[in-house]
Amino acid sequence: MLVMSRRQGEAILIHGDIEIHILSVGRSKVRIGIKAPREVPVVAREIELVQKENAEAAATHSSEVLSAAIAGILDIANDRSSR
Amino acid sequence: MPQCVTKYHGNIEYQDEQVFQFPQGLPGFAGQRRFVPVEHPSTRPILFLQSLDTPELCFITLPVLVVNPAYRLAVSEEDLALLQLPTVRQPAIGTDVLCLAILTIQPHCATTANLLAPVVVNLRNRIAVQAVATDTSYSHQYPFLEPRQDREPEEVARCS
Repeated sequence: MLVMSRRQGEAILIHGDIEIHILSVGRSKVRIGIKAPREVPVVAREIELVQKENAEAAATHSSEVLSAAIAGILDIANDRSSR
Repeated sequence: MPQCVTKYHGNIEYQDEQVFQFPQGLPGFAGQRRFVPVEHPSTRPILFLQSLDTPELCFITLPVLVVNPAYRLAVSEEDLALLQLPTVRQPAIGTDVLCLAILTIQPHCATTANLLAPVVVNLRNRIAVQAVATDTSYSHQYPFLEPRQDREPEEVARCS
């Protein structure tokens, strides 16, 4: 991984058309401004994880797999709520 | 009463007041703005989040406290503002908001719950957001249900 040190107010240029601006630096957070062409998708990494997980969660399963999973979920859920 | 076609429960009737409004959709499903919660006595406490725009889209969810009784919300200020809730404190689960974990079912693998990004619904106005938590260590694949014990070893190897 390329590592660069930047100060508040400085920027990084990627591919000639993507600008990463360091807007402010706090104790545990950095505010970053991003200028990129409209067709370049920009998301926080955890958002991408959630996008993929949502796609998995929305998948369609056979009724066998589904009913076995639901039975298992209910076993645990009911066990927990009765405790 | 309006009706909709669902993925798991055939045709159902619902009331407009029940509908959860997601002003920004969900990550990966930005165009899906309206979901109706569907419950069935035989599968309680599972809550099925059925899209009103897409009949084949339905998320299977559980109240987050059923998945992890010690769960602590960490909703960002941006998401709190979107929900029209005070941004100075975290909302209380059960009184201010409904908080649901989306489950991922996979054949031969553990059913997992997304605790990184729970669905948070403001109980007063039904505005909802899938709130990607900030500053937490909760997983998007929290192992909730272990796979059955009778599976073959090579099937287990495929689980990531």
